[in-house]
Amino acid sequence: MAKSDDCVHILQGLLVFGNVVIGMCGIALTAECIYFVSSSHGLSPLLKATEDIDINAAAWIGIFVGLALFALSILGIIGVIKASRTLLLVYIILMLITFAFEMASCITAATHQDSLTPELFLKQMLESYQKSEPANNSDNEVTKTWDELMLQNHCCGVQGPSDWQEYTSTFRLTHSDADYPWPRMCCVLNAQRIPVNLDGCKLGVPGYYNSNGCYNAISGPVSTHAWGVAWFGFAILCWTFCVLLGTMFYWSGIEY
Amino acid sequence: LPYVPHVPPTALLGRVTATTFALERPRCVFDGHADASDAVWLAVAFANASAAFRNPLSRADVPPYKQLPTAGSYMTLETAAAAYSCSAPSPPVLRVGGDTACRDQGRQDPCNGPLPSPGPYRVKFLLMGCGGPKAETRWSEPILLR
Repeated sequence: MAKSDDCVHILQGLLVFGNVVIGMCGIALTAECIYFVSSSHGLSPLLKATEDIDINAAAWIGIFVGLALFALSILGIIGVIKASRTLLLVYIILMLITFAFEMASCITAATHQDSLTPELFLKQMLESYQKSEPANNSDNEVTKTWDELMLQNHCCGVQGPSDWQEYTSTFRLTHSDADYPWPRMCCVLNAQRIPVNLDGCKLGVPGYYNSNGCYNAISGPVSTHAWGVAWFGFAILCWTFCVLLGTMFYWSGIEY
Repeated sequence: LPYVPHVPPTALLGRVTATTFALERPRCVFDGHADASDAVWLAVAFANASAAFRNPLSRADVPPYKQLPTAGSYMTLETAAAAYSCSAPSPPVLRVGGDTACRDQGRQDPCNGPLPSPGPYRVKFLLMGCGGPKAETRWSEPILLR
């Protein structure tokens, strides 16, 4: 009897430890998803404007799943310590539901990496940048985001300044090709945000304009974050799966 | 003059855009032919109208920018001949079509306005003195805009 008591105590200890880890991971997941939703290195206007709701939705689901994991882990610890069948049953059911949500969110985040193509951002930039009568606030945000992006990263367009030459754009409607082959933000600017050499910039003389495209500056941070959300979520799911198995085993061993 | 105007060979991204193009600045081409008072003009014509272009006999006959759609050619970029001499320090390219202000005001002065269509265009430099044209370069190859 002492031996199986010891086994039960060991199992209880393991389950409590497992739940503690789940609780902490839940908090971490919530924090990471909040960070992703709120900051995204200032690129969230671009993501929202692409109407690609799925990455944002995955992050929002991650927030709630994280909180749910934390709450359920506390419930699990109480249930294991009290050896209560009902509490543990509730715990198992709710945990399975949370598991399903988190699985969906991770798969969404992982598979939607491929949707962030250069063409998507190119189309958005050509349509919304410098829209003179912005239909809604998001066009203003897109313009401001692009201006900051081009200024901070010393880049121009998605693939390069030739984007503005090769494709028609809303920008071209209000800015003549002779004066603005590409936006002023593509020029090398001094501290007062005035082009160092405007004629050189218009001609495309190396050194007076930004010749790189901005796609790397956009896709890098977004990809890193999205992968973070996806893989951390998968790791939590694996751990949760093991703890759930242990809890079911423990539950089936509790006498009424 | 045997000089042929051409688009600069250096890799400038903006050397040919939808309404402008750049030309390599002709240096030392007019030395020996030009007096101090002479001016060098750039004649721009549609490629199929270049054969029909006649040099104007005096400055008053110079076809203005406005005439491009009707006459198929115009002259612009009036510059003192000294600016093209060997000793003059100057930017290495000329930009044709870079002045958007003169198009709207419709001034009679030589206007370097944006080109209205992709072309193709041919250009040549014309040295004009008080008595009329003194020398000219050859026509360039057709330049097609974006």
